[in-house]
Amino acid sequence: MRPEIQEYHYDWLISGTLNTASRVPLGSPKETALTYRYVPYFQGILQSFVDVGPPGVQFLGLLARYYENILSAKDNGKKIVGTTFCSTPSILYAMDLVPATFEILTAIGSMTWKRGMFDYMDFCCELGMPETSCSAQRGALGTQLAGLAQSLDLIICDTPGVCDTNANAFAFASAYLDKPYFQLNYPSTLGDRRSQQYHVEDYKALIRFIETHTGKSLDYDRLAGHIREIDRQDMLTAEMEDMLLLKPTPIPPIFTLMIYAGRFCFSGHPEYTRLLEIMVETARERMKAGVPGLRSGEEKLRVVMCYIDHYTVDMNFYHYFEERGIALTGSILTRNFRDGNHYVADMPDSAYHIGISSPEAMLDTIAQMNARMPMVRSIRGPYDRPGMWLEESLACAKAYQADCIIYNGTPGCRNTWGMVKPFARDLEKQGYPVHIMYDDGFDDRVESWAATRERLDEFFHIRGLL
Amino acid sequence: MQVFHDAATQVQCQSIMDWKQSGRPVVGYTCSYTPGEIFHAADILPVRLRGIETDGMEVGDTYFGPFICSFPKCILQLAGKGKFSFLDGAIITPGCDGMRRLDECWRKAGEDFKGIVPDYFYYFDVPHKSEDHGMSWYMDEINALIEGVERHFQVNITMDKISAAICEFNKGRRLLAEIEDLRAKDDVVVSGTDVFAATVAGTVMPREEYTEALTAWVAELKKQITSLSRGKKRVLLIGSVSDEIDLFQLIEDTGKAIIVGENLCFGIRYEGCEIPETGDPLSALASHYLGSSVCPRMYGKYKERLQLLKDRINHSKAEGVIMQNIRFCDLHGAENALFKRDLEAMGIPCLRVEREYGPHIDAGRMKLRINAFLERIDARKNPQRRRA
Repeated sequence: MRPEIQEYHYDWLISGTLNTASRVPLGSPKETALTYRYVPYFQGILQSFVDVGPPGVQFLGLLARYYENILSAKDNGKKIVGTTFCSTPSILYAMDLVPATFEILTAIGSMTWKRGMFDYMDFCCELGMPETSCSAQRGALGTQLAGLAQSLDLIICDTPGVCDTNANAFAFASAYLDKPYFQLNYPSTLGDRRSQQYHVEDYKALIRFIETHTGKSLDYDRLAGHIREIDRQDMLTAEMEDMLLLKPTPIPPIFTLMIYAGRFCFSGHPEYTRLLEIMVETARERMKAGVPGLRSGEEKLRVVMCYIDHYTVDMNFYHYFEERGIALTGSILTRNFRDGNHYVADMPDSAYHIGISSPEAMLDTIAQMNARMPMVRSIRGPYDRPGMWLEESLACAKAYQADCIIYNGTPGCRNTWGMVKPFARDLEKQGYPVHIMYDDGFDDRVESWAATRERLDEFFHIRGLL
Repeated sequence: MQVFHDAATQVQCQSIMDWKQSGRPVVGYTCSYTPGEIFHAADILPVRLRGIETDGMEVGDTYFGPFICSFPKCILQLAGKGKFSFLDGAIITPGCDGMRRLDECWRKAGEDFKGIVPDYFYYFDVPHKSEDHGMSWYMDEINALIEGVERHFQVNITMDKISAAICEFNKGRRLLAEIEDLRAKDDVVVSGTDVFAATVAGTVMPREEYTEALTAWVAELKKQITSLSRGKKRVLLIGSVSDEIDLFQLIEDTGKAIIVGENLCFGIRYEGCEIPETGDPLSALASHYLGSSVCPRMYGKYKERLQLLKDRINHSKAEGVIMQNIRFCDLHGAENALFKRDLEAMGIPCLRVEREYGPHIDAGRMKLRINAFLERIDARKNPQRRRA
């Protein structure tokens, strides 16, 4: 790693940036506009959120507070847990822990800085991680390995057998940093009694692990409070999902990111509820006024991202959809798979329900919810099995009246690259044009954003979609 | 010895063809977490699927994406080319992301290449943890596998037959353990290439035939007195899945090294450990196949695997470790980095190489690096030479 990079504590640096960013829109519009002059390198990302209005401003504050929590954890006597977006942080909040979700941290850095997270990603490789491993974890992991981030106390992941590259990054972190490690493990099926039982047994083991390493027992009353909060969050998300069904939808493309990023950061925490309330309020107003989510005012096309989004600098991916008049109806990350959502109507076993009547009911709730987080839900088994990726993608494409389906991931995404070609072929057979993006969602060096954009344009043009 | 080399270097080896000729079924499997004893108990020949003899990748590349390890691609390529036409069944296991996707890719390729998917095609869901509920899941999977095999092949797999199969497999395991002891001596009388060929052969040959051939070979080895290790560096070979005899040859053909042990998916790390012959045979199989945690797919067990590796180094008196990983094999790639860090700190020289599986197009590069590594071990042993 370059020495000058090692001079700066990454968490302090990005936290300071986000904290400042979240305060910029608190002044008058004129003051905000003037401030942009002084932060030329951050104007793109900052303006992306400020222009969205109150939800964007709230979201900036949410990210700032996420980092503040990490930075203040030790002072507050809390342990920090390195974890993944495929695992809900709600249990961690319920047990007074602070999550540091690798993929979220990498995405924030990638979208905020023009230099991206490249130095930190590469540092992992300097220490021996294969360059072919997933960039989504490597950014945040690099800051840890370099000692430039708040030190982790525990590591928890849940992707073995679903995404081995993901699980491998956490296992490497545990071995290299000598930190206690726990993995939740998912069978290849979902919804059947046997796998449901496995989820609960495994989750109990997770709680025992946390209790052992924190010396604190799970407080079920506190957990009930968090689950009630999740119930409220799910209700708000469902309302937005309903508005995404509308054609044109009043939901701007960037909202789909805010739905899942907020969930990955603060599921079961009031911070996320406040964000969702503001988002719903804004979307309702748009809907009532007949204002489409796209700034251009015209919805030319509707897209379902069947995997993840692209986290290039300055939110360019989301701006692209705005510019082209394309409604982004969400990705595998956006959907929470709570029962009652329209997209699970034909896949009832893929949904979770909420119960707080007893400790067992709460355990079942949180275990089944966790088992339905992105990727571990529908990439866990062969893609053409019931409830798996093909069925889910088709259900979403149908529900949201998508004109086409786009795959985006990272080259490290072995679990999808292993079958994305036949998967795409099966989707095409169902009448959906499919574009496979060959970039890296977190690393623009693999394919520049300019090239990615050209290829998207080419796809829409050749397939006669735009 | 020739019978082992033939079995290890030919997908359609004579042993398999003879078995097939007798009208008995053959089932292929992809991962060392599949208990071969179950098939043996049903008079079915279990054959570990390999990617050797691949001379192109047009089928593999059509279904797999570009960022996938070449081992499953080679298996798919061979399937697409009809090289596995002798299979009556195939068992796919989630050994890693690439291998588990062989399930979809093979089935989907079967839509384009008629007849390449065996009638019995089964996804054997092996968990990634061996704690109580993981073990219980694996036991259920074994039971479901047995039921499926019984139903499809119209056979009866009794516990007695499984116990007998464990005993038969153990004979081979004991013999391989004897070979390990021979390799641990100061004067090694057998090359790593030959031992590996014999080990790989055990994953494809009918078990009784294998035991008989191995018994004879071990007896022959015990009479050998010519040392093959004098003046050579003793090295251990570890890392990604490999069934390639030519990888061993590449190292030993330098004339400067002898492979005195390996920690590979096809190697003695699995085949050299006995399974208890008393008690419940299914529990014994489960404890052996899932509980030994020797593969990095069993996350969070690095320290156990490091200890296992240290034991192997000590037992074999290895002077250095060659760590290879196939490109896109992140599990072994990352674990090799950890091994290297910890072993080098103990003063054990290590070489990490990334490579492609299959035809050794990069043999020159590999040879160069291996030679340099052997010189490094030499310089370490002879500081004067280093100064010179």
